[in-house]
Amino acid sequence: MKKFMLIFLGPDYPDLGLSPEQMQERMGKWQHWSEQMKAQRIEHDGKALHTNTVRRVTGPDRTVTDQAGSEIKELVGGYYIVSAKDYDAATQIAQGFPDYDLGNTVEIREVIDFSQGYPGT
Amino acid sequence: MSADQPGLLDHLFRRSYAKYLAILVKHFGPDKLELLEDALQDTFAHATHAWREQLPERPEAWLTTAAKRRTIDLLRRYSATTARHKRASTDQPLSATVEQLFLASEVADAELRMIFTVCHPSLKPQDQLAFALRCVSGFSGSEIASALLLKPDTVKKRLTRARATIRKRNIRFEVPTGSTLAKRMPRVLEVLYLIFNEGFHSASRERVVREELCGEAMRMCQQLLQATAIQDATGALTALMALMCFHAARLAAKVDDDGQLIDLKHQDRSKWHLPLVFRGNALMHEAVKRGSFSVYHYEAAIAAEHLRAESFAATDWTQIAGWYERLRTIAPSPMTDLSLAIVYIQNGNPVKSRQLLEGVELNALASRQYLYHGCWAEWHKAFGSSHDARQCLEKSLHAVVNEQERCYIQGKLDALG
Repeated sequence: MKKFMLIFLGPDYPDLGLSPEQMQERMGKWQHWSEQMKAQRIEHDGKALHTNTVRRVTGPDRTVTDQAGSEIKELVGGYYIVSAKDYDAATQIAQGFPDYDLGNTVEIREVIDFSQGYPGT
Repeated sequence: MSADQPGLLDHLFRRSYAKYLAILVKHFGPDKLELLEDALQDTFAHATHAWREQLPERPEAWLTTAAKRRTIDLLRRYSATTARHKRASTDQPLSATVEQLFLASEVADAELRMIFTVCHPSLKPQDQLAFALRCVSGFSGSEIASALLLKPDTVKKRLTRARATIRKRNIRFEVPTGSTLAKRMPRVLEVLYLIFNEGFHSASRERVVREELCGEAMRMCQQLLQATAIQDATGALTALMALMCFHAARLAAKVDDDGQLIDLKHQDRSKWHLPLVFRGNALMHEAVKRGSFSVYHYEAAIAAEHLRAESFAATDWTQIAGWYERLRTIAPSPMTDLSLAIVYIQNGNPVKSRQLLEGVELNALASRQYLYHGCWAEWHKAFGSSHDARQCLEKSLHAVVNEQERCYIQGKLDALG
């Protein structure tokens, strides 16, 4: 079984102006998704990320810049790592992501498994 | 256990938000309202992230702890800005200050202050509804827009204006006392009454919108009733709560499954919610014992009279006309005259109903002129010709905006044949 990272892109709830009630609804949907995966015995693990401050360290001078999450175009809000046969199966899992209607996106990336050696070796 | 199971976490976020916001505003001052709203939003967003996989064992306690931590952050940030905070931070550790702020008695007091603040007479009446839904009920801009059938931009403007007024006028976050309290109460009751009516007469097809608005108005009313700081000397508050109970009892019977309006005559009376009727009756007994009768006393009396009738035909129109006559003497309004005219039509009194209708100033009805034409249609149907009735219904149809009511009038026109 391969592993895929589902990366959740898009503004955080407060920046979208969601009310507490709406956030509670969203949470219910996330729990539903998680329960779905559990029922289908899909291993999944992940984290949500703070979106207030995004710090970047870049370049040979190690320049540090801080940006508010709301200023970033494709803000990473969190991720899951799921087990799936291939990209299609991972896409199927990503159907359950609750925030498409808010304009948010799931980016799917296969995790390289180094224990299997490099491809072609 | 999942959060979308109804009842389990019944509006937990919304309720908690309103509580915490009141607590924070009481401590930091209403001029920091927007900043405090943002801080709390973050706390709830944090909870939605943390609870994605599983609910904590005690969700409410979890939220309170998170809110307290957030408050400590805010205290650190603002401790030097005012003397009051400085004192709080030097006399005792921050955690002790926070524990005090979150005491149950303090919460009730803070929520009461919030109600009086959003109903402050310096604010424009149209802003107050949106502002109350925002600060007392924790609605978002888009929720307010759909509840009050306004454009999101309009809501935003109203909220901004209300916050600016609070800052500019330096409005204090308090419950007035003595004669000031007596002076301020009518406006508070009016705002609650308007919120309730927005729900009761909502053009929204979604039943949940109606129920939420009515429910919020009733919840605020209940908070006022329970507050020891408020003595309902005139009984107006108690009567308003009775009125809301009576109307709310009919909420489910008022709209059919397709969202179409059902008038009083055709409502399934077995769908009326009896516990609310009983509650309303008990409140009314209480309300009539106090001082003078308010508009809410009379409106509740009228609603009670309708509920008392086993069928539409059994309605005691004479009694209802009597209540309306008294309502007119203390609060004359063209809407009351229209209602009373309908009562006299039902009671078979062509002269009095005609007099009332002829006395109504059409312009004073603004967007509700279609009701005037509708009343005339009823009059012609009862005492005149169906030709004239049809003409009036067509005028009414021409003037009506609300889609639901347009269907209702069209139905009446079709029934005339």
